[in-house]
Amino acid sequence: MISRVAEHCYWMARYLERAENTARVLEVNHTLLLDFHVPMDQQWRPLLIISGIHDFKPEATDEIVQGYMTWDADNPFSIISSLSWARENARIIREVISAEMWERMNYYHLWMNSSNARGLYEGNRSEFYAQVRRINQLLHGICDATVSHGEAWEFFRLGTYLERATQTARIMDVKYHTLLPTVDDVGTPVDNAHWVAILMSCSGYEPFHKKPRLMPIDPGMAVAEFLIFDREFPRSIRRSLGEVHTASAAIAAGSPNEVDRLIDHLTAWLDGKAIQDVVGFGLHESLTYVVNTVAEIGNAVHKVYFDAPVVPPKQLPSESTQTQKQTQN
Amino acid sequence: MATLVSSGLSVGSSGAGIQSSKLFDGYRAHGTAWDELFTRTADPHAHCAALVERLGRFQAGEFQHRRTSADLAFVNQGITFSVYSDRRGIEKIFPFDLIPRPIPAKEWYALETGLVQRIKAINLFLDDVYHDQRILNENVIPKALVLGSKGFRKEMIGFVPPGGQYVHICGTDLIRDAAGQFLVLEDNGRTPSGVSYVLENRAVMKKVFPQLFQDIRVRRVEDYPFKLREALASVAPDGAGSPPCIVLLSPGPYNSAYFEHSFLARHMGIELVLGPDLFVHDDTVYLKTTRGPQKVDVIYRRLDDDFLDPETFRPDSLLGVPGLFRAYRAGNVTLANAVGTGVADDKAVYPYVEDMIRFYLSEEPILKNVPTYICDRPKDRAYVLEHLGELVVKAVNESGGYGMLMGPSSTKAQQNEFRDKVKADPRNYIAQPVVTLSTCPTWTEEGLAPRHVDFRPYIVSGKNVWVLPGGLTRTALVKGSLVVNSSQGGGSKDTWVMENGK
Repeated sequence: MISRVAEHCYWMARYLERAENTARVLEVNHTLLLDFHVPMDQQWRPLLIISGIHDFKPEATDEIVQGYMTWDADNPFSIISSLSWARENARIIREVISAEMWERMNYYHLWMNSSNARGLYEGNRSEFYAQVRRINQLLHGICDATVSHGEAWEFFRLGTYLERATQTARIMDVKYHTLLPTVDDVGTPVDNAHWVAILMSCSGYEPFHKKPRLMPIDPGMAVAEFLIFDREFPRSIRRSLGEVHTASAAIAAGSPNEVDRLIDHLTAWLDGKAIQDVVGFGLHESLTYVVNTVAEIGNAVHKVYFDAPVVPPKQLPSESTQTQKQTQN
Repeated sequence: MATLVSSGLSVGSSGAGIQSSKLFDGYRAHGTAWDELFTRTADPHAHCAALVERLGRFQAGEFQHRRTSADLAFVNQGITFSVYSDRRGIEKIFPFDLIPRPIPAKEWYALETGLVQRIKAINLFLDDVYHDQRILNENVIPKALVLGSKGFRKEMIGFVPPGGQYVHICGTDLIRDAAGQFLVLEDNGRTPSGVSYVLENRAVMKKVFPQLFQDIRVRRVEDYPFKLREALASVAPDGAGSPPCIVLLSPGPYNSAYFEHSFLARHMGIELVLGPDLFVHDDTVYLKTTRGPQKVDVIYRRLDDDFLDPETFRPDSLLGVPGLFRAYRAGNVTLANAVGTGVADDKAVYPYVEDMIRFYLSEEPILKNVPTYICDRPKDRAYVLEHLGELVVKAVNESGGYGMLMGPSSTKAQQNEFRDKVKADPRNYIAQPVVTLSTCPTWTEEGLAPRHVDFRPYIVSGKNVWVLPGGLTRTALVKGSLVVNSSQGGGSKDTWVMENGK
């Protein structure tokens, strides 16, 4: 497929996934606040930090951070920006995605810019964020059911799971940036409640509890283990990476490249570790490594598929029969 | 990122009287214009009887309700055009009026025959102009007028485009005068747009009034993308793949017609590409794909000649493909439309199409032109300058309703401005008498009222010529206005070419 079109597919998926994850983390932080009295700034600033926003000048109150991360069109990480960019990418390739997928995406773009969305945000914050999550879930359903499972679809998957892998790592890292009220609180109900909140923001609460565990383990460590290593949970880093691998292999079509090599490297790095190793190395450091490697994979995707140098075909067709073959290939 | 103006969505607060009255109650046709639905005695034309009867059952309130749902369908599907007045583009829907504009089968047959005759003559003219120039040498058309046209491309001299076809897609603008006669206003032979609205209007009409289409037989327009693809494949160059690789070249997502480009690509099943997606190697055009270069055989380009190839035309064009024209001249790629068709699209050359038909086909023109004064002719110019207040004056290379003077509604200052312009560059202007365009009942705030309409059918030419049985009916929305262009606030209607016997 056209490199530029592949790039739009990939970024459409990344922006959709990003919008969903931003909604997840905002919703959970919002709920968490109801239970514990952590100073406002300590509670909300980490949400900016995990998006890479380190120089946010205003006081990080709940309303200010939620407003900034939800509605600020000048903030490239806000939900409204992510959905706008997803829709803009879709608009450019609407002849590639299905009409149904485009119409729903456009519908929600219009919804986000309507007073209905504002009203829901003001009146029922939880339902608003749940609605934002459903946008991506719905579009994935439509995409899977109406777009041919060819190269465009694989790029859509590649973008989705790369973004999800990095987002899950970032959401877990909130824990690192959210200081507990005191050091003594480690391992206490406050600490555990934080872990539960993170689990919930990844929709992992029930799957986590259904997972049989052989030995008693520190609850915090168990959650981290689940979100990093679980092979079945669709939002775990390991599982997302597995999906990235499948999509990338389908795109590479038998000739693995730099992208596949990096994916294999990160997979092997994870598979060679247990949760104790990760914690020993430092959870924040490990998650940072994951985030950085995913960024490298993203760069490689650009280099290999989107910005490949223009090279004339190796074998120039000399007869029309050869031309036909090449076109069919 | 664009915001959407959905101004057309609110239902007007018309009084209860209008809400409950029947749709055509109280409709008063225009005094002088031909009405597309009703005769001078206020009865429906024979071919409109069933339509008027069915639609007439609706109460105005119910009709408005359907109108709102039609608008919503356009908004949700993003069937919009962009107006970029600032950093954030504004997306607008092209206002759509639900009262169709019917054309009876017999009249359509005459139109179709006339259009085919016209396009044949135009193609022969283009071939002649870029080869022997017989029509110029025999003084049928002034040589200087043609060779001096901005649309004339000397680069095309002596070159036969693949398949021998020049104008693959033509959108001819027609109007109907007060006597009910169709006249040709202009032929858009460069990159005519609007056909996606023909198809989308029909799709929305079928959604909103499914019953109408069961009761009344209307010819399908949905075959257009398939027919266009077939036509383009039929003029693929020698050595093309089987099937040939056809792409649509768009200026990009910021172009106001981008919706149409992606619509056509989607329905034709071809790739939509931008200039930077293509490159030329060894006089062959390739597409940059994730799996390496792929040879391109036919390019349906929605880009003006000027921007096609910075090596040959405007060197500052970032939208085109360096070397594309070389590949074209080498016969390795088909461009549709061909380069240089603008010479036939020139408003000062258009008045000669009837002469072209006589010259090349030895036939009498079936369709007549609107009488046109060519300001380059001293006699015509003198007349135009004397009668600026009565004429429509147009710049020859403008479109979209720009660069024109509507004499009767113009101010003295505007007339003086055009007087100076015409004197300074007469070659650049033509003038036509004001034709009272036909009207069609159209929904307005006061209920149904007559609004002026024109008509743009689409002619597709590959190895064969095919006319889409339908077309774009554009309608002015402002009372009395004769300007129907979408860029000037006009809307559109579904055009119904009736099946035989209905």
